[in-house]
Amino acid sequence: MTRITPLETIANTGLFGNFVGKNKDKLIRISEISNVKIYQIVQYKISKLNTSLLQIDNQIFSTQPGSVSANSATRIQWNGPKVWTVISNNKNIYDQIISSCPEEDFAVTDLSHSRVIIQIEGENAIAIIKKGCPLNLNEFTKNNCANSVYHGITFSIDMINDNPGKFNLMAYRSFADSFYHAITDASLEYGYKQE
Amino acid sequence: MKKALEQKLGLVDMLEIKCPYCGDRSQNEFSYGGDATVKRPELNSEVNDLEWDSFVYYRDNPRGKHLELWHHISGCRQWFKVHRNTATHEIIQTLEMQEDL
Repeated sequence: MTRITPLETIANTGLFGNFVGKNKDKLIRISEISNVKIYQIVQYKISKLNTSLLQIDNQIFSTQPGSVSANSATRIQWNGPKVWTVISNNKNIYDQIISSCPEEDFAVTDLSHSRVIIQIEGENAIAIIKKGCPLNLNEFTKNNCANSVYHGITFSIDMINDNPGKFNLMAYRSFADSFYHAITDASLEYGYKQE
Repeated sequence: MKKALEQKLGLVDMLEIKCPYCGDRSQNEFSYGGDATVKRPELNSEVNDLEWDSFVYYRDNPRGKHLELWHHISGCRQWFKVHRNTATHEIIQTLEMQEDL
């Protein structure tokens, strides 16, 4: 059975907005990230396990607020005290999580079906996020993450790269349509390429 | 009157709350959770109707410094305490739940 992505029937590829006369390589690029596994890992309050020793896909569980441990396949976001989100395109990531996180210490929840991830890349990417989000993004650097709101929609920002700005924006799947249109409406001013 | 007009025009500074876990964030990310000074009666203790009513319904409405519960609902989803001045909106201190003033 083929999996239907949240934006499959909503996002049409092409150039949109104020793109005429602009270098097409410099336009904002928007794409949906699909075929990734998303797991929420929560350490129980009664657990005494030292998480600094844990690793998944050779990435540590950071205890630094707003930081991401990442390699090319897996990103582990700090989402709150003793709460992490693992986003990976590694097919055996679940086995790795289960072997690293004992069930008496951690609750592991598969969120892959219930989130939409929109990737936005380009010199003006940060300006597009600033249009709807109150977070101070001037202090954001590569491999920083945060949860916030975008025009009232709760979402998480994960900064993949800083030159040019490349962000993964993750929101609830049920908000995929509204969230996508909020992002693309904000991008019209600069012109964008939907991939 | 002037303040109301400024608020309507969006000229008033955005309120920032310092989450003990995430740092300074906009008020939009938070949800108010009530009076943090209310103490639940001891479990299994004798509680009369007045004490129970006081716990469930009756709240002070102070003008000035007040200890409140807030939830960082669009952030780290943690509950914490905010020591705030209800007259000036000044936030004096934020505390984790297990901390006291």
